[in-house]
Amino acid sequence: MRNIWIILKSEFIRRVRSVWFIVITLLAPVLIIGIAVLPGLLTVMLSGTETKTVVVDDATEVLLPRLQAEAEEQFVFTDRSTVEGDPRAAVRAGQFDGLLELPAELRGGDGQPTYYAAESGGLAFGSQINRIVRDAVQTQRLEDQNVGADVQRIFRERVSVELLTLTDEGAEADGTLVYTLVGYIMGFFIYVAVLIYGSMVMMGVIEEKTSRVVEVMVSSVRPFDLLMGKVLGIGAMGLVQLATWGVLILGGAAVAGSVAAFFIDPSDFDLGADASQEALLEAASITIPSIAPSLIVWFVLFFLGGYLLYASLYAAVGAAVEQQQDAQSFSLPLMMLIIIPIVFIIPIADSPNSTLAVSLSLVPFFSPILMVVRAAVTDVAFWQLALSYVLLMVTFVGAVWVSARIYRVGILMYGKKPSFRDLIRWFQQA
Amino acid sequence: MATLQVRDVVKRYRTVTAADHVSFSAEAGRILGILGPNGAGKTSTIRMITYITTPDEGEVLFEGTPVGPWSQRRMGYLPEERGLYKKLKVGEQLLLLAELKGLARNEARARIQYWLDRFGATDWFDKKTEELSKGMQQKVQFIATILPEPDLIILDEPFSGLDPINSELLKDIILELKASGCTLLFASHRMEQVEQLCDDICLMAQGRVVVDGPLREVKQRFGKDTVLLEFAGSPAFLDPLVATERVRIINKTQQRAEVRLLNGTLPREVLEAALAGVEDVYRFEVMTPPLAEIFKSLVGKRPEEMARTEDPQPAEATA
Repeated sequence: MRNIWIILKSEFIRRVRSVWFIVITLLAPVLIIGIAVLPGLLTVMLSGTETKTVVVDDATEVLLPRLQAEAEEQFVFTDRSTVEGDPRAAVRAGQFDGLLELPAELRGGDGQPTYYAAESGGLAFGSQINRIVRDAVQTQRLEDQNVGADVQRIFRERVSVELLTLTDEGAEADGTLVYTLVGYIMGFFIYVAVLIYGSMVMMGVIEEKTSRVVEVMVSSVRPFDLLMGKVLGIGAMGLVQLATWGVLILGGAAVAGSVAAFFIDPSDFDLGADASQEALLEAASITIPSIAPSLIVWFVLFFLGGYLLYASLYAAVGAAVEQQQDAQSFSLPLMMLIIIPIVFIIPIADSPNSTLAVSLSLVPFFSPILMVVRAAVTDVAFWQLALSYVLLMVTFVGAVWVSARIYRVGILMYGKKPSFRDLIRWFQQA
Repeated sequence: MATLQVRDVVKRYRTVTAADHVSFSAEAGRILGILGPNGAGKTSTIRMITYITTPDEGEVLFEGTPVGPWSQRRMGYLPEERGLYKKLKVGEQLLLLAELKGLARNEARARIQYWLDRFGATDWFDKKTEELSKGMQQKVQFIATILPEPDLIILDEPFSGLDPINSELLKDIILELKASGCTLLFASHRMEQVEQLCDDICLMAQGRVVVDGPLREVKQRFGKDTVLLEFAGSPAFLDPLVATERVRIINKTQQRAEVRLLNGTLPREVLEAALAGVEDVYRFEVMTPPLAEIFKSLVGKRPEEMARTEDPQPAEATA
């Protein structure tokens, strides 16, 4: 035990102080948030700045003023009569962004409006011009039929359904979407973390072997201690990284809440100027999902269990080869085992209590990802969580036992790249 | 009683028997040279002594008890294939290895500084291992081996890669350790190096011990059948003797020749041929053959020839 601890410390310190670790730990959340937020931000910024000028050839002679009333800042509608010459030529020449032709029959219920542009306007633009013209035509037709203002308002209304979940505390806002997202993120994080930290263990073993430091090491410690020290040391590094990200994300969410609250005017929601931040955010229907502490505990436990299981197997792969390239044929099966659960995340999040979901989340190689997804989406019975974890731990012990045997022989083997049969022989020989 | 006893040890790998009923022992205050060409089974045997591997048959006793994790702490092993952690500083590296041998940190620190000073590397403690040259790394590795003050020190080719000055320094320290009562094992395929340092030898070839015992006794067993000549003139006078298989040349230059007497040739026959063929003779000595020659008499080939003819094999087999 003492030796495992010494190796663990050495591995941990060596990695945590590296520039790579510090940069990734601090920048990853920024990058992830950036990737998630940037596209939306760009869309808003770009669509907000561009104004389209449109020539309208209005044969109905009544729709143009309605269009001008409907159009928000992003459109300027100009009457065709103010343009000299062929309006199509003017569009081609770049004088206008487009030409909108409204046939006379449109008012009566026939004919189709057409929009000509010199270049494609993009996804958002199509639906915008569509909506504006549709609303203008609808209003005009309703008015032609002498429909009252009340009825017109009814047509304009968009009814939405509020989704609620019944719990012991009464009805609560339904968080299916949010929790599916949380489950997906957690599952995906475990997937990436196991893959990356596992490969780090593998590369650490390969480096020990190629630098030939391993022979000195095993003359002082049992190979099993060396293996466990390395796996646990890198695991400890992973936990520190995870904890840092947790703190950064929670801190970020808190800051984001205050920032959002700052931009909300309390009077818009009939609240006093001294309204609390929570009340403000709730009124503005901005909710930061609350995650149950038990989910976080299970997430960390399954992350650790999955890491330990896969890392010990990766260590055996590292011991078998001398170069990273040679490791591929051995690490591929491991990678497959990690990827399979990713395929099942969506179906399992959809029906988290199906037989398929329950049974897959008990399989040790899949449970670190799938059980966490289920736990995030629904209330998983405690016995299922416990059974799944016990199975995972039993498999881990078995994997370590197998790996340690391959590792013991492998770390001292140089020369030809071994085959799977060689690995089995090493296992029997150790 | 001998500190270390290797008793009838067998280690088989799939295609080769790396150690084939190997037996020898090493005593405190003496240096035992384990000699043999590459593939003789030296490293395989050492790995069993250091409890890195375990024998298929036979046993290894350290102070009368079978080796195990307990004995690892009392042995210092400098493998032939050695390396250091690239990302650790020299001091951290040495501390890690010392701690694994059970040494307390503070004690280890003091000793590290002492040894760094002795190797003229006083300010290396915070140096990155990556920045060290091969020779410098070798010194660090040697310090790591002796730092925990082990009772048994095993050095596999300790001089390879060292310049003459550092080789001399290493030799002095080895002799110091011997004087302090350590048991030393010195594995090498370079026979002449071993002759200078060792008290006892154990000659190995193809996994077997060919001969072992105190160096002087082993050499005397072969009698004085080697002639050393230093002369002025051409060494061509030897050619007829070689052609008639009267002698075999061990090595010769323009002024010096070392020959082994064959088929009952008398030393004086060589001297007479020399007197007839060269301008002058400065030195004529009848002596015991060098170890490499003894090896050849026993195995039938010189150690270099064996190393060369052997196919490259995985380390498990060749070591």
